[in-house]
Amino acid sequence: MTVYRVFPFLLAVLLLFLPAAAAEQSQVAAAQVMVTNVTLNPQVFMVGDSGTITVEIINNGAQSVAIRRATLYDEKIRVESRAYETTMYLGAGNRMTFTFTVSAPVPEGIYYPVFSLDFRDAGYLRYPVKLRVQDQPLTVAVLSRPDTFTDGKKEKVEILVGNPRDNAVSGVTVYPVGEGIDATPTRHFIGLLAPDKSQNVAFQITPGKSAVLEFHVDYYNGINPHTETIRVPIDVGKSKVQAEPILSNLRVEWSGTYYTLTGDVTNAGLEPANAVVITMGQGAVPQDPYRQYAIGTLQPDDFSGFEVTFTVDGDRTSVPVVITHKDADGNLYTTTYPVDIPAKGTRKPAAGTEESPLPVIAGVIVACAAVIGGIVWYSWRKR
Amino acid sequence: MNHVADLLFAPARFFSALEGKEPGLGIPALIAGIGAVISALAAYAISDLYAGMFAAAGTGMDMGMFMGLMGAAGAFIGFILLWWIVLAGAFHVVSVPLRGKGSFSGTLAATGYGLVPSVIGSALSAVTLLSYLPRITVPVIRNIQDPAVIQAAITEMMQDPAMQEYTMVSTVFTVIFLVWSANIWIFGMKWARKLDTRNACITVLVPVGIFIIYLLATFFAKGFFMGGS
Repeated sequence: MTVYRVFPFLLAVLLLFLPAAAAEQSQVAAAQVMVTNVTLNPQVFMVGDSGTITVEIINNGAQSVAIRRATLYDEKIRVESRAYETTMYLGAGNRMTFTFTVSAPVPEGIYYPVFSLDFRDAGYLRYPVKLRVQDQPLTVAVLSRPDTFTDGKKEKVEILVGNPRDNAVSGVTVYPVGEGIDATPTRHFIGLLAPDKSQNVAFQITPGKSAVLEFHVDYYNGINPHTETIRVPIDVGKSKVQAEPILSNLRVEWSGTYYTLTGDVTNAGLEPANAVVITMGQGAVPQDPYRQYAIGTLQPDDFSGFEVTFTVDGDRTSVPVVITHKDADGNLYTTTYPVDIPAKGTRKPAAGTEESPLPVIAGVIVACAAVIGGIVWYSWRKR
Repeated sequence: MNHVADLLFAPARFFSALEGKEPGLGIPALIAGIGAVISALAAYAISDLYAGMFAAAGTGMDMGMFMGLMGAAGAFIGFILLWWIVLAGAFHVVSVPLRGKGSFSGTLAATGYGLVPSVIGSALSAVTLLSYLPRITVPVIRNIQDPAVIQAAITEMMQDPAMQEYTMVSTVFTVIFLVWSANIWIFGMKWARKLDTRNACITVLVPVGIFIIYLLATFFAKGFFMGGS
């Protein structure tokens, strides 16, 4: 009789303590869930960049754990994707990853958005994720460029692209942009640029006029496209190192039918002058035997003699000498050099332009012919 | 002196005086020598032009002087050979089929005597040259290694108007005084080769005519006869 009275009481006590035991068991199981890996793409954000944060968890316990909700939140870092709201079970020894899309419209700094994992039966897991925002773009510098560009002449411009960031950037491309500018190659693809590394690229730039040449460096930080630009003003003018033919030791002589100009041509520039040809310009009419004088290549500080023959239009006292040469790219350069020619009065006069002795001599000839005729007649008459 | 006057104005009387005498070559050689010296002096004077032509080529005056000496020697020998020996030979050869009799030394002597007018013509021509020389424009040769350039320069100098005018004057003097010489040579051939007047005229006028035609042809072909009077 007594046992029957005690049994319901014991049952009531058992029912009273059984849920508490189950809850304690779930909390022990949830405690075995931990974050094993956090991956950020990009590893370091730039201001305004979007990216992903992937959190991997593992259940190291012997029992499965029911997860009710996984989310990421922060006051400043904006989480673009929704939270994982579906109840799911993480089996014993299993792993699970949660990926969140975030954006960082924040100033440069280090932020800690919190990954939160709510268990259905046992509280939650909080895990701050370290997220760096670095406002440091790629650096672009001009390594070498000519002091002065020459119209139509190809010049080499070297660009250095450096990555001062703490993460690698991908898809790095360099290309020049400018009005009237022809570039070879049109763009350089560098690809992945590791942190604290740099890469040189060279372009052959041919300007058509004075302009501003821009070198654009496009790259990706994660999925975010970025562009850096460096401006190089191009002043088309006379190159400081280009070949510079100058004439010296000039001498003009009149030979009766044409002038002969002789002299030396010297390359006073710092680059070779190729295909040097000397001829006469407007106002002078080249004549054989030296209508033109081809010299060929003149190295810097080298010189060569030349000779051209010509006549002049009218009473000119100066005629232009035209020197043409080409650079290594085949661009033609023309230099005009005025040369004084002797005035007409100093030339030896041709027959007929001054008082010729011919009339006197003709008189002598006629007289001689008459006398000789007379002598011949006389000699035969005397016979 | 009378002999000289007879030679120039009455050659018949001059050669009649020599009739029966052995022909001496001394005086004819002297006459030819004087003519040769005048031609040589004229050629040397022309060398001044060549000196200027080659001066710019860095050869200095040596090249011009060398050419002048060579030209003078050529003109001297050329005059002796062409105007005396060759002409006498031509007269002698032409007179052979015309039944000419007499030694070649006689022909040489007669030809030498007949050169006196041509020597006078040479002297006149040389004086004329002195008046033309300053007026002749000389082209400049800078590269004596190129024969084409030298040839072109010499051709250009020959085509200079003053030079062409002098060439014409010189040719006319030569022809006129050659006619006078031919007149003396006719009487000389009659004496030296025992020819009648007709055959003597043929003997002289055929070679002289050819020579005159050659001179005129050379002139009209714009050439230049360096050995001329």
